[in-house]
Amino acid sequence: MSEQSTKPAYTKPLPDLRPEGATFWAGTKEHKLLLPAGPDGTPFWYPRAYAPGTLEPVQWVESAGTGEIYTYSVHFIGPSKAYKGDPPHVVALVDLDEGVRVMTNLVIDQAPDYPSIDPADVAIGKRVRVVFHDVTDEITLPKFALA
Amino acid sequence: MSEATPNVQEARRMLAKGIVIAGVGETEQGKLEGRGSFQLLEEVTKITLDDAGIGLAEVDGLVTAFSFVESTLMHSTTLADYLGMEPGYFASVAVGGATAPLMAVQAAMAIDAGLAEVVLCVRGDNTRSGISSSGMIAMAREMSHGEYEAPYGLTTIGGYGLLAQRYMHEHNVPQEALASVVATQSEHAALKWNAMLRDPVSVEDVMNDRWIATPFHAMDCSLVSDGAAAFLVTTAARAKDMKRKPVYITGIGEGYSHQYITSAKSVDGVRQGLGRAGRRAMEVAGVTPQDLDVAEIYDSFSFTPLIALEGFGVCGPGEAGDWVLEGNAKLGGALPMNTHGGLIRQAHLGAMHHIVEATLQLRGEADDTARGGGDHQVPDAKVAITNGSGGILAATSALVLSSEPPSAA
Repeated sequence: MSEQSTKPAYTKPLPDLRPEGATFWAGTKEHKLLLPAGPDGTPFWYPRAYAPGTLEPVQWVESAGTGEIYTYSVHFIGPSKAYKGDPPHVVALVDLDEGVRVMTNLVIDQAPDYPSIDPADVAIGKRVRVVFHDVTDEITLPKFALA
Repeated sequence: MSEATPNVQEARRMLAKGIVIAGVGETEQGKLEGRGSFQLLEEVTKITLDDAGIGLAEVDGLVTAFSFVESTLMHSTTLADYLGMEPGYFASVAVGGATAPLMAVQAAMAIDAGLAEVVLCVRGDNTRSGISSSGMIAMAREMSHGEYEAPYGLTTIGGYGLLAQRYMHEHNVPQEALASVVATQSEHAALKWNAMLRDPVSVEDVMNDRWIATPFHAMDCSLVSDGAAAFLVTTAARAKDMKRKPVYITGIGEGYSHQYITSAKSVDGVRQGLGRAGRRAMEVAGVTPQDLDVAEIYDSFSFTPLIALEGFGVCGPGEAGDWVLEGNAKLGGALPMNTHGGLIRQAHLGAMHHIVEATLQLRGEADDTARGGGDHQVPDAKVAITNGSGGILAATSALVLSSEPPSAA
């Protein structure tokens, strides 16, 4: 039996994968944060077939994985039964230093489960850095911890 | 991105024909077990046509919305089949909470184009008692991007929470301001015959309530309800044969800034995007915020009307919280707001009840004493603004309604 088979099944929402995002998710699996960018190299978010507003081809750039908290909301109730009994989780929008805003969870940098940060430690404007949470064998979610 | 430059004169030309709301109706609201989605629509159709004093055969246009319970891609014609009518014009509008004012615009355009003369705009659902648990999860996730937001456990409440917390941070808005919206509307709901929550609550009650997603306590959130509401759109000329005093649609406007909350550029970008709807509706109507007598403002959460009031120019940026705390939104205040209790205290049917309530106010009939409610009439109300927003303040549609015909453009 492989080690993974003893891992409890991940029951929280997984991304609805689309072809345009394949490069991004392949990147997170290797613990790299890749961002789609327009023809002049300016990153945008979220991945699309063409750069929004231009209809020009996409290139990919690697993010340093650092940024600051733009806003957050402490969720006391999750979107499904899988969150029942959990401590509150913190959903945040993080402004990456490359100039794009991404949604994430604020967590403690503690592999393999990356538990939620204590909401008392969160504030708008605090610096954060990416951590990579391997939630299944296929999917790695980028999350952020205080820098 | 370029801002749309719709032609105000052309909107005035259409509305100068005298596009009116000639009848309104609403069922009971709440948990109405044993009544299906289409049954509720049929019930409210009868109430609304009785209000206008016409029969089903006189309705030649049907504008509906969507259902969380009955899945159909052809909602309006499914209802036409159920009602046993053959409308010459039909449309189903689906832009979330922006749907109701857009239904009125759709009806006005159909009348202007000669496609119909008497258009029933009707929305209802048994969302509370009829929805399945998978439907509930789908609804909770509805506004999330399935690939880049949903995996983080975002709820619709939390999506609004993200924007609200940034708004409060930028403008130093206290939690009490949000609670004050709830307390104000709870006083109004106490007077509305079919409000689900009729007991007034205080700012302290809201502040002490359990958290759902910061900055929202349970009482800051809108209700989930069964029920239906409708309004009948026609011309002033046609309404002369009907029973009620017509209420004129004198302004229409729409505004958009983003779909996913991650894509919203800034608090002010959202305020300007949704504000465009109200500002344009007022421009078309030839009125300013000072001319408004009553405001029925979409209130999916306690925060929602604050940023709308600012976007529409009723208050300056960041000032709506103090404005509400000072009592301006109360009956008897400078601009009574959500005089029916709104989505937070009456029921959630998008902005349908906001339009019905604005119409009743302008007819001088907002007194529910005879039905077990109370008098919530704004004395001598002549001009109302109402709006609805879909998504997380993503897309907004607004109407200005008036007891008087539009002044010649």
